[in-house]
Amino acid sequence: MTDFRQIENNLKKEAKRLLEAGEVAVVLAYGRGYDEKHPMPFAAKTIADVESLVFNEYCNFNMASYLMRYPWGTKIAIAAKAADSRAIIQLVQEEKVRREDLVILGIPAYGMKNQKTNEVVDSKTTGGLYNPVIYDILLGEEIHGQKIVSPYEVLAEYEAMDKEERWAFWKSQMDKCIRCYACRKACPMCYCDPCFIDQNKPRWADKAPQSPGNMMYHLTRFHHLAGRCIDCGECSRACPVDIPLYLFHKKVAKECEEMFGQAAGMKLEDKPVLVDFRVEDSDKILE
Amino acid sequence: MLKKISISKISELAAALMDKGLLLAPVKEISGHNFVEIKDPKQVDLDFHNTIASPKAAFFPHKEDFIKYETGKPIDTASVVALNLPPTFLFGARPCDVKSFGIMDIHFIASGIVDPFWKQRREAAVIFGYAFDLEKPAQPEEFYQTLGIGAADPEGSDIFMVKKGGDLLLNSVTPKGEKILTELKILNEGKAADKKYYDEYIKKGKEYKTRSMCLEPGAITKKLEDLFQNTDFWNRVSSACISCGVCTFVCPTCYCFDICDDTLFGHGTRRRVWDACMFTDFTLEASGHNPRTHVYQRLRQKINHKYSYHVRKYGVISCVGCGRCTKYCPVNIDIYSIIEDAMKA
Amino acid sequence: MSFEPKILGIACNWCTYTGADLAGTTRLHYPPNVRVVRVMCSSRINPSFIFRAFQLGADGVLVGGCHPGDCHYNTGNLYARRRLAVTKKILEFAGLEPGRFRVEWISASEGNKFAEVVQEFTAQIKELGPQQKLKIDELQEKA
Repeated sequence: MTDFRQIENNLKKEAKRLLEAGEVAVVLAYGRGYDEKHPMPFAAKTIADVESLVFNEYCNFNMASYLMRYPWGTKIAIAAKAADSRAIIQLVQEEKVRREDLVILGIPAYGMKNQKTNEVVDSKTTGGLYNPVIYDILLGEEIHGQKIVSPYEVLAEYEAMDKEERWAFWKSQMDKCIRCYACRKACPMCYCDPCFIDQNKPRWADKAPQSPGNMMYHLTRFHHLAGRCIDCGECSRACPVDIPLYLFHKKVAKECEEMFGQAAGMKLEDKPVLVDFRVEDSDKILE
Repeated sequence: MLKKISISKISELAAALMDKGLLLAPVKEISGHNFVEIKDPKQVDLDFHNTIASPKAAFFPHKEDFIKYETGKPIDTASVVALNLPPTFLFGARPCDVKSFGIMDIHFIASGIVDPFWKQRREAAVIFGYAFDLEKPAQPEEFYQTLGIGAADPEGSDIFMVKKGGDLLLNSVTPKGEKILTELKILNEGKAADKKYYDEYIKKGKEYKTRSMCLEPGAITKKLEDLFQNTDFWNRVSSACISCGVCTFVCPTCYCFDICDDTLFGHGTRRRVWDACMFTDFTLEASGHNPRTHVYQRLRQKINHKYSYHVRKYGVISCVGCGRCTKYCPVNIDIYSIIEDAMKA
Repeated sequence: MSFEPKILGIACNWCTYTGADLAGTTRLHYPPNVRVVRVMCSSRINPSFIFRAFQLGADGVLVGGCHPGDCHYNTGNLYARRRLAVTKKILEFAGLEPGRFRVEWISASEGNKFAEVVQEFTAQIKELGPQQKLKIDELQEKA
């Protein structure tokens, strides 16, 4: 496995080359934050900017979130870890970005850390992949031989819960929500403008952070991300009150994969499962 | 007046305060500490650095009901929500957060337009300030020293608390605080050595190191005014911003709110709910026009409001340097670095 | 007083609603607990409708659409099938009793099936009792 410093150097080298050759207008990657542990997403537009690029184990943020800020036709190079690459595929499927506009700088990364807890980010909170699913240029060696753990393994404990217990769990979690909407803003798949929760007509839920409104917001958001969530875990990492949103997203993703036989963001030619159907879908899924 | 109590007896003190009224104190939750209305005195936990949310919610709750009404009925059938507040004890607020109440007072009371809800809540409350632990280093995001706030400033509190080994020293700062201290029979008298320790602690708190730079309100205001039209600068500092509301919701000095009507089968409530200048629909007008459509405009508004407009209007910077916005920002935008950049620009 | 459940029925204009009509004109007996809302197609149903119905006090939600392949708009109910299946899983994982949400394909000629389904579903909801979980607190006080 290539170490993070080497990846950083490769990233700088490629960014410099692409910008110099005029192949891209912007390189979306990570830049210096206020300290080593807090790198910031950064858009390098000039060769001078390239020196500010960094990559280390705290570069978790899903860069695909920034892709839609640029109009079609802007050539963009994007640093993509495993989850970021899945988000890119999903966005291409949804025709939000065009594959031909992108130069994907794939980053195989193992041992990324959550800056808040210092825990290693693994299949517990994310999809648990190490290698980008799609890339044009790989910035390090592919990682093989790591133990593959199903991202759905963590669900077993919650699925085994009694429904009353599970309701109590989710209610206590949702009651914490302060409705800062960091989850939807950190999510690369949440791009609706306006979001259903900001609508006044119809007004789906209260604006106040109280139980019914919180429940409505989160349940509907889980639904909107069904078959689209690429399990990057950014919603939960962004959450200031640590609601384990990833659990619910994982569950919905798991059900979608079981029912429709397709995981989100794995192949460019797929269609998102809920804007697709098969005549031979079984009515059993409704039971 | 100086009193003391062993930290192991903190739940007894909490119980005594609960007998007198409502107690808001830090409680350990799954993700960290937060100020919560205490139901069980054992919940109170002083082993924290600072809480996730600022204690502003004690006086400016996230959701405040104003009026209850029935739809389709005449206006005189609507009723104003009465507060009827019991004495409230805000226990264990850090000096920087206590300072924020004074800043918010300017806006909600001293500006001439009095917010009755804020005022009533403020008057009902006794604030127990709690000095930071000077033996532990400051968190990397904090910068209250920059704004002239010490780690053990009793100013603004009614009672100020300092930890001395296994004991908690409580000193009255205002007459209101002194009255409470006399009434609390559970407390022991502080000795001369305690008094000395307390005074020295306050003095030492002034030198407690957090990130700091020389920041003169006039200079930063001028600088930000000059920078206002510098779109490149604002675009650069806001390039990572994702327009969520974390920074404003955890901030002790953000006071923007939205008034909304919620009706349920004809029963309506008019209430105010926190709003955030980072949201895209914050400035959305009924016509559909939005004067702040870009991310940079919104971040510029936030920084300017705190460090420029507020200074121009009231003469004080509306920031206490608690660093919550930086700590909880999903993309690690640091307000301190932006100010630093602005001063250099 | 025995528990009379409130059930929201959402029926597609072309099949289930007409089927319900047929049940009425053929004078079939079925419980009056279902309040039917007509939509043009089962794929018009926003999952938020269902969440909101539970919040506003529905004890059960019954969705009716054309049989797969019979949709007036050719494919509407095929999309709806996938979507509503996800809705069901979400409600279930949130902790709501799975029996409170049901999707049935009822054609315009199946008046008797409509009556049967309503009877069966009402009995099932009666057994489950009032829905308290998603219901807004303020509404619970009034009940």
